Amino acid sequence: MSHIAITGIGVIAPGAIGVDAFRSLLRSGESAIGDVDRFDTAGLSAHRAALVRNFNPRDFIPPMKMRRMNALSRFAVSAVKLALDDRGGDPPGANTGVAIGTAFGPVQTSVDYMREYVEKGAALAPPQLFAESVANAPGSHIAIEHGLRGFNVTVTQRESSALAAAMYASAQLVKGTVRAALFGGVEEVNEMIFSVLDRIGALAHSNGAVDERSRPFDRRRNGLVLGEGAAAFTLESSPAHEPYAYISGFGMSRDTTASISDWGSDHNAVVRAMRAAIDDAGIEPSMVDAIYASANSSQRADRLEYLAIQSLFAPVPPVVATKGYFGEYAAGGALQVAAAVLAMSDQTLHASAGFERADDEMRFEPIPESRGIALDNILVNSISAGGGIVSMVLSRESK
Amino acid sequence: MRKPDLNTRIAVTGVGIICSIGRNSDEVWRSIVDARAGIGKLTRFPGETFPTDIAAEVSGDVEAMALIGGREAKRMSRSDLLAVVAAREAVQQANDGGQPLPLDRAIVSTGTSTGGLLEGEGYFFERIVVGRRRAPASRVLQQPTSAPSDAVARALKVGGGVISNATACASAGAAIGMAADYLRSRHADVAIAGGSDALCRLTYSGFNVLQAVDPQPCSPFGAERKGITLGEGAAYLVLERWDDAVARGAKILAEFCGYGASCDAHHPTAPAEDGRGAESAMRGALAESGAERVDYVNAHGTGTLLNDSAETRAIISAIGETVPVSSSKSFFGHTLGAAGGIEAVVTVLSVIHQTAPPTLRLGSAAPDCTLDYIPHEPRPMLLNSALSNTFGFGGSNVSLMFRRV
Repeated sequence: MSHIAITGIGVIAPGAIGVDAFRSLLRSGESAIGDVDRFDTAGLSAHRAALVRNFNPRDFIPPMKMRRMNALSRFAVSAVKLALDDRGGDPPGANTGVAIGTAFGPVQTSVDYMREYVEKGAALAPPQLFAESVANAPGSHIAIEHGLRGFNVTVTQRESSALAAAMYASAQLVKGTVRAALFGGVEEVNEMIFSVLDRIGALAHSNGAVDERSRPFDRRRNGLVLGEGAAAFTLESSPAHEPYAYISGFGMSRDTTASISDWGSDHNAVVRAMRAAIDDAGIEPSMVDAIYASANSSQRADRLEYLAIQSLFAPVPPVVATKGYFGEYAAGGALQVAAAVLAMSDQTLHASAGFERADDEMRFEPIPESRGIALDNILVNSISAGGGIVSMVLSRESK
Repeated sequence: MRKPDLNTRIAVTGVGIICSIGRNSDEVWRSIVDARAGIGKLTRFPGETFPTDIAAEVSGDVEAMALIGGREAKRMSRSDLLAVVAAREAVQQANDGGQPLPLDRAIVSTGTSTGGLLEGEGYFFERIVVGRRRAPASRVLQQPTSAPSDAVARALKVGGGVISNATACASAGAAIGMAADYLRSRHADVAIAGGSDALCRLTYSGFNVLQAVDPQPCSPFGAERKGITLGEGAAYLVLERWDDAVARGAKILAEFCGYGASCDAHHPTAPAEDGRGAESAMRGALAESGAERVDYVNAHGTGTLLNDSAETRAIISAIGETVPVSSSKSFFGHTLGAAGGIEAVVTVLSVIHQTAPPTLRLGSAAPDCTLDYIPHEPRPMLLNSALSNTFGFGGSNVSLMFRRV
């Protein structure tokens, strides 16, 4: 049996640079969501997002290299540097693979390119921007920076991007094609994505009765809040020191009732993914000690998830909803993973952010405050618009 | 986590393809046998001028070919529709004769470089350039590169999961490799795996500003080659565990034996000149397949100075100097994120028909391109095993190995 040990974490998050600061953010119970000042939100319904502030890429990347990178690449390369520093020891070596998740990729770079295209013409737009407009630019910079010559893929499965990247990286590690792997996620809040999601009513907004906020599982939730940042993790099968946690299983499924851009209505699809991950880990539902939920404050996705959780688990283990801290798509979903990994390592669950009152048909509540608890297995869910679902089991011991 | 079991054999039971030389696998193969390229003047962006004006476009009404209701089709990008056309053909072929595929347990794995960027550009022009704050957003929803997988899954009622990757021009190769791993680890029971990409302004302009586009139809490995010809299209394979395919009574078209994936870790857009990443991907594919020899290589063969030279070196190092090699991009251009899928389907067709496709327009090979590139005419030959190469920006390389049944 091969081990999949998480040996290093790097985080560039809204309200937290580095894993210690991220721990503090989660402990504070305070949301990192604030007013958007990066672009004009006048005329839109939503005005808030979880933005990375106080981030100086020069702290992580030499200036000459930085000039070649867009914001997404800077987030990702910095998070990887932090993860490798956190891991310590000798570098992982050339036989290391990279799987990065991102829901939307470098949309801003495409917009910047098209602006130049319009202003200067199709022949004179800057090639540098084109090179950075591909979704795998961050993964490529990571490989170049650290000489990593194993597989290099960029997974783009909406809310599930980071978990799907973790799944591929883990599969390669157990298959033995690489000695070590990096996985993670990266996302950027920009005007294009913000305005489109706002136009279709996907974003949380104030409507007279409620203010604009991320409220995972709360009955007054009315949309997600966008988040950004990057998180990276080092995976290896023979860790030199005690790892944060082990990855022990994955499951995926798809809700066939989902439209091409919305969540569906069949919670059994979520049950199938969770059950498959639990089976893959070789455990039973009763051995899941906590769930780090996908819940992102949208009506349909959160309902699907609580119906699924209460259908599979009796009793329902403690459920933690983290997206009230840093929004949805934050680090392509990787900040939620980082929170779950820290929970396992610290044997302490985080307080859920943004929840007050449940729907009538919801039979549990996400835990309201931080709690020290014996944790052997944590289930992490991701439910994507379009119907894709990926679940992962983290364990204290290798399974 | 269950490990991908390399002793589990993977069957290809369906292929589907749409590109400039055909709307299905029969049409594509006929064009290849007739040595008929699908490269012409760019028509997709009327009124806009680019330094070059050649492309390999898919003609015809893609929306009608996708067999999707009007309202649903309006929400799909061109990349999504191309994906649905190809995936439908692949699934139909896989269902031909045997018990139907258990699509409720199938996954869709798609590689795409741009997804619905074409439609994103439309929104961009209206909102950012013209300043219409309430520009219609319905099709922009399909901009994410997850959209083609989601569209195929929706059209075919797939319930096992969706995975998308955007690993530039290596995307579809990675999608096929991933899918095979998940079949071998039993995280999925059937996989519809491939890629899709529609031509869009950003890539057409972008490769031009990189000066990587040949003003004439591309001539891979040629002495006069000046770059790529941009194309578009989609292709999917249906992959199943061998025993499941047999139990279903399916006709097995070929075996998918394994793949290798690597990264040059060299440069954001240029390949490593010594071809080390490409070589490592091919070696990985050979090792995973347990193959002793390779009868034919369907090359990445883009027609750029750097790729064709580096790939030639890599093939010599990994396989040898005598293996026949060709670039089917000389037929349908570089279809970017779809290339790995389109060329995997062409490779499977080659194995089925025991005929290697030619490299068109290869007058004389360049001095640094010293292999047998099968010029001009298809070559009937013994094809027990064939390798399909696909490399991309960011130095990502994937090599897929197929075997005759």
